[in-house]
Amino acid sequence: MSQMIGLLEVLEDFNGRVDVAKVADDLLLELDDLLPAVDAAELLGFLKVTSGDLILTDEGKRFLSRGSSGRKKMLNRILSKTPIFKFVITFIKQHEEAETTKDDVIDFIRREMPDLEAETTFRWLVEWGRYALLLRYDSNSGKIKVVQPTTAQPTAPQEGKPQ
Amino acid sequence: MTPVIELRNVTKAFGSGTARPNAVLEQINLSIEGHEFASIVGPSGCGKSTLLRIMMGLTTPTDGEVYYRGKPVKDVVEGMAMVFQTFALFPWLTVLQNIEIGLQGRKISDDAKRKRSLKLVEIMGLEGFEEAYPRELSGGMKQRVGLARALVSDPEVLLMDEPFSSLDPLTATHLREEVLDLWLNPEVSPGSVVMVTHNVEEAVYMADRIIVLTHRPGTIIKEVHIDLPRPRNPRSPELYRVVDEITGMIA
Repeated sequence: MSQMIGLLEVLEDFNGRVDVAKVADDLLLELDDLLPAVDAAELLGFLKVTSGDLILTDEGKRFLSRGSSGRKKMLNRILSKTPIFKFVITFIKQHEEAETTKDDVIDFIRREMPDLEAETTFRWLVEWGRYALLLRYDSNSGKIKVVQPTTAQPTAPQEGKPQ
Repeated sequence: MTPVIELRNVTKAFGSGTARPNAVLEQINLSIEGHEFASIVGPSGCGKSTLLRIMMGLTTPTDGEVYYRGKPVKDVVEGMAMVFQTFALFPWLTVLQNIEIGLQGRKISDDAKRKRSLKLVEIMGLEGFEEAYPRELSGGMKQRVGLARALVSDPEVLLMDEPFSSLDPLTATHLREEVLDLWLNPEVSPGSVVMVTHNVEEAVYMADRIIVLTHRPGTIIKEVHIDLPRPRNPRSPELYRVVDEITGMIA
């Protein structure tokens, strides 16, 4: 997460377009170390890769211009449309109160997405899901829960207790 | 105007009973003003971290005086908070609980502590991570918690000891930006920031003034005012000129 935002900021410093090798060189990083951040930013539509150049998209610029709560809202919208989040959130929502256990989700990933390394994928989902206020996870109880839209937007008038 | 922090002829030596004590810092004279971003740079082992600890009252100098707002420092100063290179979070506490630790000993209700901590959660972009434990966090997120814990007490001076050194370069880029935003954010702004770093580029990018220390025992060889306009481009030739100048003094 922080790496991806850092990469977008570096791109901004280079006026939105720069050779990927130059970024690695500038940051004293191996190209391999840059790739996870490039992949993440590309998946979210914040940058494009064209013949070795990284290009900041308009969506990426918009993301950078927002404060942390605006960034969370953007990621909430974008991530909830990605196949993997859609898939997992739908699965968790089938359970009572949209809550299940880590083991349950790991089994689901193993069963439905055998190409992915389940533990790593789970950690990734939790990190991004927490940031984007899509998922809540309590590592003590192992419970994972889908954040309901009503709780994610505290702007609604608060009268009485929410049902 | 009285400086926020003032050090007069501060010397620090470790070990006693020898004819020539092991001096770490020698004859340091230094003031930190209100609303200033100062950075202390120097080679490793020049006593930079010790200097920060002396300012906060965590370590007493062997010789010389330390003043906070004109009053001699005798104990840990309440108006200061520190951010550490290694984050220094409690692994058995959640993110929210780690932030609340920053208010320990303050005479305010638990409710008010919780409210203030949640405010910092929001400012530092840690919403969604309240119940996470440090082991579940990336380095960047851990240092956000470290910053939130330091800022929760609304300090007048934020001290940072190599705050970005244990982060990967991309995360460090991002957090530097965040710290500058915080410094300019009236909601949390600590009046002054003192950052210790061995990274000259980082210091020139962020600070108004750079205090350059020599190798052990650390003495101040130069103070450089950085009047490049903000926001600065970390890759501009003007910035690099200053970086080269300061690097030349240390090497």
